[in-house]
Amino acid sequence: MIQWLFVFISVIGLLTALGTVLARNLVHAALFLVAFFFVVACQFVLLEAEFLAAIQVLVYIGAVAILLMFGIMLTRNVQGDDTTTVSTRVAVPAMVATLGLFFVLAFGIDKHGVHRKEVITSAGTMTETSVDKNAWSRLTHRPKASDPVRPGANMPTRTESIDDMARVVGREMVNRYAVPFEVAGLLLTAALVGAVALAHRDVEEETAGRGIGAKSRPASTSDSPVDLNLTLASEPAPTAPVHDV
Amino acid sequence: MIEMSNWALPTVGVWAQITGQSSLVDLTQWTLIKWALWLFVGFFGVFPGIVAYLVWAERKVAARFQDRIGPNRVGPLGLLQPIADAIKLLTKENIVPRSADQWVHILAPVLILVSAFLVLAVIPFGVGMAPVNLPSGMIYLVAVSSLSPMGIFLAGWSSRNKYSLLGAMRAVAQLVSYEIPQVLSTIPIVLWAGSLSLVDIFDRQLETGWFVMSPPGLLAFIIFLISSIAEVNRTPFDLPEAESEIIAGYHTEYSGMRFGLFFLAEYMSVFGVSCLATALFLGGGSLIPFPPLSDFPVNYLGPNWLPYILINGILMSVFLAKVLGIVFLMFWVRVTLPRMRVDRLMNFAWKFMVPLSIANVFIAAIWYELALRPGVRFMVAGFRLPNAFVGWLVTGPTVLLLVWFVIWFNRMVRSSSEEMPIVPGGPRVMVTGSKIAAR
Repeated sequence: MIQWLFVFISVIGLLTALGTVLARNLVHAALFLVAFFFVVACQFVLLEAEFLAAIQVLVYIGAVAILLMFGIMLTRNVQGDDTTTVSTRVAVPAMVATLGLFFVLAFGIDKHGVHRKEVITSAGTMTETSVDKNAWSRLTHRPKASDPVRPGANMPTRTESIDDMARVVGREMVNRYAVPFEVAGLLLTAALVGAVALAHRDVEEETAGRGIGAKSRPASTSDSPVDLNLTLASEPAPTAPVHDV
Repeated sequence: MIEMSNWALPTVGVWAQITGQSSLVDLTQWTLIKWALWLFVGFFGVFPGIVAYLVWAERKVAARFQDRIGPNRVGPLGLLQPIADAIKLLTKENIVPRSADQWVHILAPVLILVSAFLVLAVIPFGVGMAPVNLPSGMIYLVAVSSLSPMGIFLAGWSSRNKYSLLGAMRAVAQLVSYEIPQVLSTIPIVLWAGSLSLVDIFDRQLETGWFVMSPPGLLAFIIFLISSIAEVNRTPFDLPEAESEIIAGYHTEYSGMRFGLFFLAEYMSVFGVSCLATALFLGGGSLIPFPPLSDFPVNYLGPNWLPYILINGILMSVFLAKVLGIVFLMFWVRVTLPRMRVDRLMNFAWKFMVPLSIANVFIAAIWYELALRPGVRFMVAGFRLPNAFVGWLVTGPTVLLLVWFVIWFNRMVRSSSEEMPIVPGGPRVMVTGSKIAAR
């Protein structure tokens, strides 16, 4: 049954992904994207990782999608239905890039399958190294939910991971994945600093540039009252990219 | 310290499957029956009923505050007023503007309502009385409540109305800002309970007393309450639907039952955040806030049905009383305070609430080390000082100092930057009013 559930959810996911790309209305596209994020959260639930599902909803729907919509509203026609057609010059490089991504993914997934087969030929009994690399990638080789927590073992057992996933993820992040974690933090800090640098304007510049700024806005938004500026401008700029995980 | 096994229910048999507190769910028919009961009795029956009477209570309370009588025509004391209101909303014509985005227009109130309902799904109302016990319940709560800005935004956008759009913009800016202190103020709770599950948090408070009974807990509670009022758009923070400025904000173009859904969602989330504050800070349904007897009704749990039902009756009544207390506080604030100005609203969130709640996490860690960590003892001249006493001695002044420092720092910064326009690109509203206050 769970396979059919997976297929059903995946089909919805693919449809929403298509909707994101094909929708003419930008806000509709963003809504499809939200639906897609939600489907990803569903997949996490199917993988018994409800902590990650909640994080997915929190970060991607609660923060990224909201900011995305905010961005659509502020930069384009407020009503959001007007979309420019993609120029044909971009089409060919885009297709090349997409095909490249497809091959990379196909190669990776295929390689993974080969690796799995090796595990199967090693007659069921898993050495510690094979557990480390493959235990979580295979449904059949996952440790049983009833396994007790092994003291001193590096791999968290399945029970512990389900019951206390926040703790397990946190521990893995400061032990095994400490370096990627730090690098991601560095990247986010760089993004933060960059956003501050982009958003920051000196006072003299600010007063001089106010007229230019007003002129460069699209005509359709010029009828929006001043309050709108006030609301958004008073939200500190540095905080925006924090959500951009 | 009270052992968990003192009151934990037996883990064998049908009985334990109905009431068991484990987060691993056995998908037996008993679980399904339990869930069906929660869904149809709780979520479709009791909670909307409570919400309907919250509206009545608010009208009565507001009337008393303003020296009026309030609803008194339909039934005794106006008690049938919510039913009359519901019938009116249901039978009203449902008008959708021609230029509105039909599907999104329908979707928006549903999203908001779903978000408001889902919050209640992990609240432990009593022992074994949480609809679902998620191991990562706190994250779930944050995730679920972060769906409502999306609904509000879509409602404002799809209406094709300038006032709706303005209300939506204000709402999203406000909700996104106040979400941060709201979440940060719950970190001390997670730290002290050592778990994200609300059931574990409830259990832990039976051991250690209510979490609000400590200086950092109190500060976190106040921050949580203020940002919760902002999250549900109640009056000092009701800019998104400020009637006198932008008609009704994001739900200007909704009529009939669709407006009713917004109304229901708003009061549902008032009820939801009150339940949450009760479960997180006020010890759920427990009666006594201090340790020796803090597990009072629960320690009489045995393997029989009768004490279980009695104890849960007590727990749920106390829970409801606490929730109504918080709701009354919200009504009180609403009829007392005027609406905040937009820039003040944002400044308050980012310059006061966020720094306070971040620093409070550190103070909460100090409190944990002094008062809650098992095995810590303080001996002075042969006497053992109570851990809570030492905790209060250290963290109490620290919290006061922190609050004073944040206020002092903000005033200093503000008075030193009088020449600068605080709000870039906007009118210089900030400078005029606040200079006087700063001096």
